Parts: sequence; structure tokens; C-alpha cells
Amino acid sequence: MSPRGGAEGALIKCVVWDIDNTLLDGIYLESDQQPPPADKVLLGVLRELAGRGILQAVASRNPPAAGEYVQRLAGLELAAVECGWDAKPAAIRRIAASLDVPTDSMAFVDDDMVERAEVAAVLPGVLVLTPEEAAEAAGWPQFSPPVLTAEARRRGELYANRGRRQAAAHDFGGTRAEFLRQVGTRVSIARATAADVPRLHELSVRTHQLNSAGQPVAEAELAGLLTSAGHQVTTVRLADDFGDDGLVGAAILTGSAGGHSPGPAATVPLVMMSCRALGRGALDALLAWLCRAAAAAGATELTVPCRVTDRNVPFRLALAAAGFRAEPGATGPDGRALFSRPLAGELPPLPDFVVALS
Amino acid sequence: MTDATDQLAGELGDLLAEITGRAELRGIEPATPLLRGGAGLDSLAGTLLLRQVQRRYGVDVAAEDLNLDALETLGTLAAFIAARI
Repeated sequence: MSPRGGAEGALIKCVVWDIDNTLLDGIYLESDQQPPPADKVLLGVLRELAGRGILQAVASRNPPAAGEYVQRLAGLELAAVECGWDAKPAAIRRIAASLDVPTDSMAFVDDDMVERAEVAAVLPGVLVLTPEEAAEAAGWPQFSPPVLTAEARRRGELYANRGRRQAAAHDFGGTRAEFLRQVGTRVSIARATAADVPRLHELSVRTHQLNSAGQPVAEAELAGLLTSAGHQVTTVRLADDFGDDGLVGAAILTGSAGGHSPGPAATVPLVMMSCRALGRGALDALLAWLCRAAAAAGATELTVPCRVTDRNVPFRLALAAAGFRAEPGATGPDGRALFSRPLAGELPPLPDFVVALS
Repeated sequence: MTDATDQLAGELGDLLAEITGRAELRGIEPATPLLRGGAGLDSLAGTLLLRQVQRRYGVDVAAEDLNLDALETLGTLAAFIAARI
């Protein structure tokens, strides 16, 4: 029997596991003294996939304690836990929303044929697997991301941190800027090095909501840009009291600001940032820093060509907040809208939690 | 500003308060800037607001307004929506 649903060959970003008779060798609530032991094979697959940067979540008709129990057995933090009495498609939708992962890059594993059929019917994009199929999934291309970075390996943990941060933000009450200070936000902006190249490539592949170009950049091309006199590749690292997100974003600056050719116009052919950084001040900081770097190099105007899609609205909001504007209909040679702003006068503010290394 | 736009601005303030968890935004003046200073709307809250606007009023601000000028203030957003419903 072959797995149903899912886009052909598309990379899976999140696996949602059932608990009873799937991750556990038995039924959680039907055990008298102690909960049933783990299904060693499937728990091993879960750990392996988590190590590849694929988010692991559970959806189960059980009390929340069942999720905590599975988490202890797995020895790692699950990205999302949905324990309740809802239908599985609703639980999967909530996981998709909380992790910001589209359902067509999710897989669902359940021993129950009826649950599988319901998910397949309601969410046709989800790759629906039996436990037997899931046991072999680690060998499939959909579960084998091409690059594996330190950030990817820790992705599940980082998303769990995000859940705690969101809860704290919701209870905080003050402005977002006050919250960012309160939780010890640290944004570090630095020149990219060769060691950053795999992660930069990964960001170019994975980011959509905060991406100006909308197309991947090969590692070789990135490596070439690092040594190009005409380009300045800049990285953004993000951390706060909830955890260290590592390298979350980058930008390429070129023109008068990037290299030796002086001139009034500087361009940023690529800005990209992980959606984990959304709402955490990192993109605003990067745009503010780019304005300063370009101005310091003698540019009087900075242009950020942006492919306008229905997914990168957050990026356009950040551009608007930083004072960038585009002429409707006027596009660059690749069809991107040309967002630009003058560099004279007041530049967008660079918060004091930003550390910029030259 | 018409009464209908006024009422819309009030509803949008409620939405904004819900999204950000900041009750004080409920009574926000229609002329308060949204993105810079003022309400301090960041790109996350802004995206959520636009999603809710689309769901509630069927107006896709992002698709129609390249520079998102409609988000200048609560009043401009209300007027943008009022002109399309």
C-alpha cells in the first residue's frame, strides 16, 4: 500500500503523530499501573527526523499528560502537542497554524484507518501514513532535506521556545518594543563568513513570508558573493531569554555601498529571514542597518526589489514601516517591484538591542 | 469621515486589541499612526490584522495596495475598507 496525499516529492516540514498504538505500544488510558512503553521503531524514526530538522508534533485523543509522557520517552521537545477530543483534521490545522507550516508539507501517522481516511479527505495535501509506512519514511526523499544545518537540527526546540515566547507576549500587555526589551532580545548583525553559506542557502530555500527574491540561491553563488568586491553579505543572528535562534536572516547589499564603485544608488538584491524572527524586531533592525550602511558608503537612495506575492505581505509591511515605497507598475528587469527610500534625513530607528559588527 | 467609516474604525480598533492583546488599543484615535510610533504595529500584528480584515470584510488590502498606504492610520484603513464594501 502506498501513502496517500501530499505533493509529489515535496519536502515534509512537520510530522504529526498519533499516540495510542502508534508512538506507544498500547493505549495510554487503558493501562492500569503505568502507561504503555514506546514503540521503539517509530520513536526512533521520530528522533531521526527531528535530527534532520523536521518538526515533530503529536495529535491524540488523550489528556495532555499523554503528550508529556511521549515527550519524556522521546527525550526531546515536541514542536506542538495537541491532546484533546477534537477531530484529527482540526488538531492538524491548529498545529499548522501555530508552527506556520502549510498542511501540504505535513505528514500524519496513525494506526487507525478511520482517522487516516478523515485526514486524507479533509486535508488532501497532508501525506497520510500507516505506522508501517512511517517506519520506512526516514529513507524517503520527502524526509531527506538536502542541507542540514545546526539551526535545522534544533528546529523543534526553537519552535517550542517560540510557543513559550508567544504565551509570554500575549500576557505581557505593553507594546511589542517593550516586550522585546523585557525578554532580553539580542539582534547581532555581522558580515557573513564561509561557515554561514549552508545556512544562507537553506534560508533562501525555506523562507517565503520574509523574502524579497522568492527564489533559492545556490551555495556556490553565495560563496562567490562572499568574496565579491561588489557585494556585501550580511547575517542576522537572534536570541533572547527564551533561547538562541542562531542565524535567522541575511541580506546582500550591492552598488555604491557594496563595493568600490561609488554612486548614489545602492541596491539590496536579497533580503531573507526565517519566519521565527517575525514580530521580534530582527527584520526592522536589518532594514534600518542596511539604510545606515548604504548611507555611510555614500549612497543617497536605497532600493529593495521585491517580488510581490500573497505570502510575503509581512515583508512588505516591514518595508512600509521602514519608509520604503514602490511606484505601482514600475518593475525591475525580473518583474520585481522596486521599493526604495531616500537616505537623507531621518533613517528608520535602530533599537538599542541591536549589535552591529563591522 | 462618515458614520459608517467611524464605526468601522471602532471595529478595527477592537480587532487590533484582540490581535495584540493590548486592551488600550480598543479606544485608539482614528488618526493614530499604525506602523510607525503610534500603535506600534509590527509586521506580525499587521499581517494578522490584514488577514482578519480579509476574513471579516472580504477586502484584500495587500492585493490592492502595493505600498500598504491604507495602514497609515486606523482611519485610512477604515476608509479603504468602506470604499470597497
